[in-house]
Amino acid sequence: MEKLNVTVNGQLMSVDVNPAIRLVDFLRGQLLLTGTKTGCGKGECGACTVIMNGKSVTSCLIPVMRAEGAVIETIEGLAKGETLHPLQEEFIDKGAIQCGFCTPGMIMSAKALLDKDDNPSSEAVREALSGNICRCTGYVKIEEAVMAAAAKMRKGG
Amino acid sequence: MANYVGKNIPRNDGFDKATGLGVFTHDVTMPHMLFAKVLRSPHAHARVISIDTSAAEALPGVKAVCTYQNTTKKRFNASTAAMITIPCDEPVRDQLVFTDRPLYIGDEIAAVAAETGEIAAKAVKLIKVEYEILPAVYDPLEALKLDAPKVQPEFQSEMFGAPICMDDDPTQLIHPKYNNICGKVIEFGIGDIAQGFKEAEVIVEVDLQLPRVKQCQMETHAAIASYKANGILEVISTTQTPHPTKMILAYALDLPESKVRVSNPPYVGGGFGVRIGMSGKAEVIAAVLSMKALRPVKLVYTREEDFTASDTRHGGYLLCKLGAKYDGTFVAIDTTAWLNTGAYATFGVELPGVLGACGTAGAYRIPNLHYKGFPVYTNQQTAGAFRGFGTPQGTAIVEAAVDKMACALQMDPLELRKKNTSKPEDRGFFPFPIGSVGVNECIDKAAAAIGWNEKRGRNQSGHIRRGVGLAIATHVSNAAPFCVDYDSIVLWIEQDGSLHISSGIPEIGPGSTTGVIQVACDLVGVPFATTVMQFGDTASSPFDIGSHASRTIYTVSQVLAEVAPKLRQSIFEYAAAHLEVSAEQLDMVDGIISGGGKEITLKELAYQAHLNGKQFLVSGNKVPPNSLPWCAQAAEVEVDMELGLIKVLKIVAAHDVGKAVNPRLCEGQIEGAALMGVGYALKEEMVYEVGTGFYNNGLHRYMLATANDRPEIVPILVESNDPAGVFGMKGLGEVGLNAILPAIFSAVEDAVGVRFNVAPITPSRFLAGMKPFA
Ligand code: FES
Ligand code: FES
Repeated sequence: MEKLNVTVNGQLMSVDVNPAIRLVDFLRGQLLLTGTKTGCGKGECGACTVIMNGKSVTSCLIPVMRAEGAVIETIEGLAKGETLHPLQEEFIDKGAIQCGFCTPGMIMSAKALLDKDDNPSSEAVREALSGNICRCTGYVKIEEAVMAAAAKMRKGG
Repeated sequence: MANYVGKNIPRNDGFDKATGLGVFTHDVTMPHMLFAKVLRSPHAHARVISIDTSAAEALPGVKAVCTYQNTTKKRFNASTAAMITIPCDEPVRDQLVFTDRPLYIGDEIAAVAAETGEIAAKAVKLIKVEYEILPAVYDPLEALKLDAPKVQPEFQSEMFGAPICMDDDPTQLIHPKYNNICGKVIEFGIGDIAQGFKEAEVIVEVDLQLPRVKQCQMETHAAIASYKANGILEVISTTQTPHPTKMILAYALDLPESKVRVSNPPYVGGGFGVRIGMSGKAEVIAAVLSMKALRPVKLVYTREEDFTASDTRHGGYLLCKLGAKYDGTFVAIDTTAWLNTGAYATFGVELPGVLGACGTAGAYRIPNLHYKGFPVYTNQQTAGAFRGFGTPQGTAIVEAAVDKMACALQMDPLELRKKNTSKPEDRGFFPFPIGSVGVNECIDKAAAAIGWNEKRGRNQSGHIRRGVGLAIATHVSNAAPFCVDYDSIVLWIEQDGSLHISSGIPEIGPGSTTGVIQVACDLVGVPFATTVMQFGDTASSPFDIGSHASRTIYTVSQVLAEVAPKLRQSIFEYAAAHLEVSAEQLDMVDGIISGGGKEITLKELAYQAHLNGKQFLVSGNKVPPNSLPWCAQAAEVEVDMELGLIKVLKIVAAHDVGKAVNPRLCEGQIEGAALMGVGYALKEEMVYEVGTGFYNNGLHRYMLATANDRPEIVPILVESNDPAGVFGMKGLGEVGLNAILPAIFSAVEDAVGVRFNVAPITPSRFLAGMKPFA
């Protein structure tokens, strides 16, 4: 066991972790933040995407100790109280969710983009989502939702 | 009155899924839970000479080790084939929990349950197995030969009888007797096929080779089984058919069905057919380990296991001969399919039937038809159900034949299609009225949206060429009357007037539960916002056959249409006494009961009823009618002649959905299926390597489309208002995949002048195929 200092969804914590596990195991297994999914465990599907120090990462590829001192955002940290993030609202509203297994990772990849650029081109959106596989939707409504969320964020929503 | 049907109501599970709070099987932990790991055969065909589990058992933390030696030897069928064949064909029950004669690379030899996943993985490696390697066969045409190794000698049937009725059968399969037939050869027809071809003035023949492809649902198979010494087994899993899976487990483990509960937690990360029945074998493996350890056991398939040890789509070879009059009227069609069933049956017998019925006998009015489908055992992983269930394969070959016929007759392929599509009064092969037929409208709309008239036949040269193609397809709205298909539901009104629906369907992604609530609210006359649906749990609902065959909203709506009037009647009778009007005068819309100048909310009435000891509650079950959904799908492609790269620029998918219960959900089904179809045509392929098994053991070795390389997809909804469907609806979930491959193949042909007959058209296949024409 080693001591890990990390901020998860705004909460600074100092916890004992097994240094052999991956960040996704820490989030899902230790913090019970099971919104982050695993579809492959090998960096190939994007279901485990979280934001680490402002960048989207596949948490199944990150040894947990690499998170020392890091700021991590997971899907559970997006809503402010009862108010959903514009991405969450638009994913629901535009029909961008089917089985929902890719959704948390997809939303986190999109958030990493929109946090930097709230007026992205559709190419930039596609590029930002290209590491996230969705087998259900054909990506059409996911892209629509991200564009709509960007518009909402520009209006300050 | 329709308040909700036809509207884009946001999904009822959207909040759970967008916030990460919705629970999937992967997310479930239970007190005192163990973790399981499976030992799989490294050989395609072998006999276990000895197995030594002592070192694994001695490892601290190991709580159960199961092999064929200490586990039931009762054979079962992991798919719902065990339940669904009418008339009562016995399913081929050829699977064991663990085997001592592995039949494919990945077959289950043993499993361990331990305190942690790491310990279980370590223990599995400590199991020593000695194998005698046996000869294996991988290709269905090879496996049919009499001297081929027998994959399932106890279960294969030998087909005696007349040779196949192809004139110049190039595969020389005309034996009176075959090897490795799984179950039986499926053969049927209508009219007189020999006479039909005699009457034909033009005859074309085509052949096609199709790959195995994988469902790739994003949540891998998983189950948590909890068996207690009081004889109760509770399983939480990724199955898309909770009730049938309960039946299979009870059968395989000799437990009363009343003591087995199967549920989803409640969400399932996709299915696409791969878990109609068990999720791979996750449920039964977790169950036997739990029965031994008497603790909950969780088994999650790795992506590699999901890829290489659970059902795929059937690959194989197809031949089709089509005869027509000079005016284009189709008179005869004869199709044969040789399918790679793999090591175990699962849906091996049913699927060739659907391939023939919906794939070759569905879309067109052809008076003389013959079909023969061979399910052939091989030493590869099992093929089973995947969106479309045989129809994509049948559609691919028939549409190739239709295009070739158009060419032979020098007719526009769309005119030829429209001339021959089925009409509402046709029965063809189907034992039910086929319902409304909006396919010609679909053809017109898809053709217009893809720019058929301007773009088809551009006769280009140069190294970048474009082409357009179009194909049509049908499927079903449920599995009746070919298979057992019914749904049972219970409806009740809560004490505050809210409607509660209890049904055994799961929610694997399409939005079935949202659509059902929309229909129920309109049929009962209550608000959507306060209605709730209980689903995906055998303990909380009567029987339902599950999410397959494009059936859930369609079938549940059929039962709702029977029971909702009864629920209303009981409400009106009670309200009549309360309001002092006659029940016949009353109506209820959005929870407000009115008539005879009086009005009361259901909320108030239900509470009054409650105070008097009365609850409004009804139940019912029904075998649904059926009708055919339709689509015309068009593709535009751009071909790089030098690199062999084919890019799909646009897909237009026009669908006759009968009535769109929720247009946005309909579009979602169409868009997702379209992209799957693009992969089937151009990229996706399970490649077998003798000695090591399928190359595709992970997503990086299986080319799924990403957001970056999808084409523009344009869904078009056509509403033909089916006479048998509730509110006019039909099934939709699968048909969207069925015609994409032939549409793309036709577009490539339009661009480069060559019709490919092997899928997927990878760059190397394209370049090799073009060589003779260089
Ligand atoms: S689980 Fe991390 S990328 Fe697939
Ligand atoms: S919604 Fe199912 S994988 Fe994306």
